[in-house]
Amino acid sequence: MKQAAVELLAVENLNVEFDTYGGVVHAVRGVDFSVAAGETLAIVGESGCGKSVTVQSMMGLIPMPPGRITQGSARLRGKEILGQSRIDGREIRGAQIGMIFQDPMTALNPTMTIGDQIAEPLQVHRGLSRAAAAREAIRLLEVTRIPEAATRAKQYPFEFSGGMLQRAMIAMAIACKPEILIADEPTTALDVTIQAQILDLLQELQRETGMAIVLITHDLGVVARMADSVAVMYAGKVVERGSVDDIFYRSAHPYTLGLKAAMPSNDPTRKQSLQPIEGSPPDLFSPPPGCGYAPRCPHAMKVCQQQQPPETALSSAEIGRPHGSRCWLHDADSPFKPAELHFLDGGSDAEKGAVL
Amino acid sequence: MWSFILKRLVQGVITVWFIATATFFAMHNVPGDPLLNDRAMTAAIRANVEAKYGLDKPISEQYVIYLGNLVQGDFGISFTQENREVNDIIREHFPVSATLGILAVLFAAAGGVLWGALTALYRNRMPDYVIMFFVILGISVPSFVIAAVSQLMLVGVNSALGATLLPVAGWGTLSHMLLPALVLGLGTMAYLTRLMRSSMLEVIGSDYVRTAKAKGLPAARIFTKHQLRNAILPVITVLGPSIAAITTGGFVVELVFAIPGLGRYFVQAVQQLDYTVIMGTTVFYGAFLVFMVIVVDVLYGFIDPRVRMQ
Repeated sequence: MKQAAVELLAVENLNVEFDTYGGVVHAVRGVDFSVAAGETLAIVGESGCGKSVTVQSMMGLIPMPPGRITQGSARLRGKEILGQSRIDGREIRGAQIGMIFQDPMTALNPTMTIGDQIAEPLQVHRGLSRAAAAREAIRLLEVTRIPEAATRAKQYPFEFSGGMLQRAMIAMAIACKPEILIADEPTTALDVTIQAQILDLLQELQRETGMAIVLITHDLGVVARMADSVAVMYAGKVVERGSVDDIFYRSAHPYTLGLKAAMPSNDPTRKQSLQPIEGSPPDLFSPPPGCGYAPRCPHAMKVCQQQQPPETALSSAEIGRPHGSRCWLHDADSPFKPAELHFLDGGSDAEKGAVL
Repeated sequence: MWSFILKRLVQGVITVWFIATATFFAMHNVPGDPLLNDRAMTAAIRANVEAKYGLDKPISEQYVIYLGNLVQGDFGISFTQENREVNDIIREHFPVSATLGILAVLFAAAGGVLWGALTALYRNRMPDYVIMFFVILGISVPSFVIAAVSQLMLVGVNSALGATLLPVAGWGTLSHMLLPALVLGLGTMAYLTRLMRSSMLEVIGSDYVRTAKAKGLPAARIFTKHQLRNAILPVITVLGPSIAAITTGGFVVELVFAIPGLGRYFVQAVQQLDYTVIMGTTVFYGAFLVFMVIVVDVLYGFIDPRVRMQ
């Protein structure tokens, strides 16, 4: 068992709202997670659960107004990064925290050469001269395995393929050697073989630089392959978090179980077709008073509709990566014992292993 | 890039030929003829004059002769002004119109980009509302009204100052040019402001601007390097047609400000059916506009690499 290292980033009780014509959307409703130095934290959940808003608000990338952070804190090495002044905020973004996005085709400036775009943060944060930054940009393209980097650096985004663009994005994000790389669905827009290459590259870079990665994804396969810790989000909340082993082998929250059941498998011995989670997420204009998952949960009880479940600490396989779940089933009065929970959907441990 | 320019030039020549042909036949199909105004016109004199100008020949033959002259750059002699060559009229008066037009286009483009970017950055706040109010005004009020009103206001300002801040009309020095150029460019400036605003808003919300923010770049750098250059592209595409709008709109403004430009001759020639002057000014304007559109396209290629490479 690996041991989690020093806590690098701690997000507590983050709340984000958006004013829209239809009313106020409570997109993020009290999110907690932490990232240890050098580890990979995967934030998983379906579309619209608030994964991207969580990290983008932390990075000051959501437009305010209409967005606003109503509560919470995010501390990088103990230093608050939310609501920082413009200059300090800039120093954090790009220098201490790098970020890559979902669609590399639109995430790069179409009228600027790739090399110039990679050189920019070096000039701004490291004070490198134009020429030095350009040389470093070429080196970074080499690091991200782009052939003929010197020629490529002079080209424009439209001359690159999607996978190459994502490599260039990565080169840009790691230019200032950040401690954390936030990857917001980095492979969603890419085809499967390219996805694998990009994930390999991220892992290699992590090994070489020791940076932490916050990986946002809705692909459990990617989670299993990449993550040390996992935070499962649903309807603007983290419903379960823990080490990757805890989440996959000792899943405690019914939503996590539902996600696993909905995962396609290529195991021929498994006859069952994938099971979708029926229903749709709650309306975040007026979030439910109780557990957001209750209407879709096969085990929902009366209390689930009425009150928010607190986070219950569960036994954890790894020191420093606590396993917790927000579900009333873990309550002392629950008809189920926590230890039994992950058998609820009728699977066996061996079968769960097939997904990893 | 060179083959691109060459291709556009060939296309331009074909366009000008189309303009010349269409104008030629349209003009000859207008009822009446240029000699109708002369009172003392006997049949014999008429035949003489027609022979002199080649009007006695069949239209198709006139067309061929005309094209032949055109290729040699000869627009012929005016029918109504004695001994004046169309080339002389253009040579004398076009520089005035062109100066006015170019100045107006510069005003319009610079103003449009500046105000448009500003309104987008201050979207739904006071500067946005104020500027957009004037934009609507600029689009909806015709230039001759703005011309007259601005002249009137200038007269007031001049008499209040007891000195000439700017001359109210006439031509000659830069101070003569400022007000007419501003008036002439105003409508286009308003239009470009709206275009720039919407284009800038799109860019502000784009993924690559978010990337630029995530890189921790200062706002000023994001504005100049990432927003402005991309937002300006649609403005440049309409700059060609805008030059057309401004130069043709120039006739009215030239008249109001008593500017000796080409516009007056153009309008007069149509009224008097002065064939050669109509043809000369139309084809010349046409060629000028086609050329400007090509210049704009080449300029676009310099700013947008995607166009340059193809």
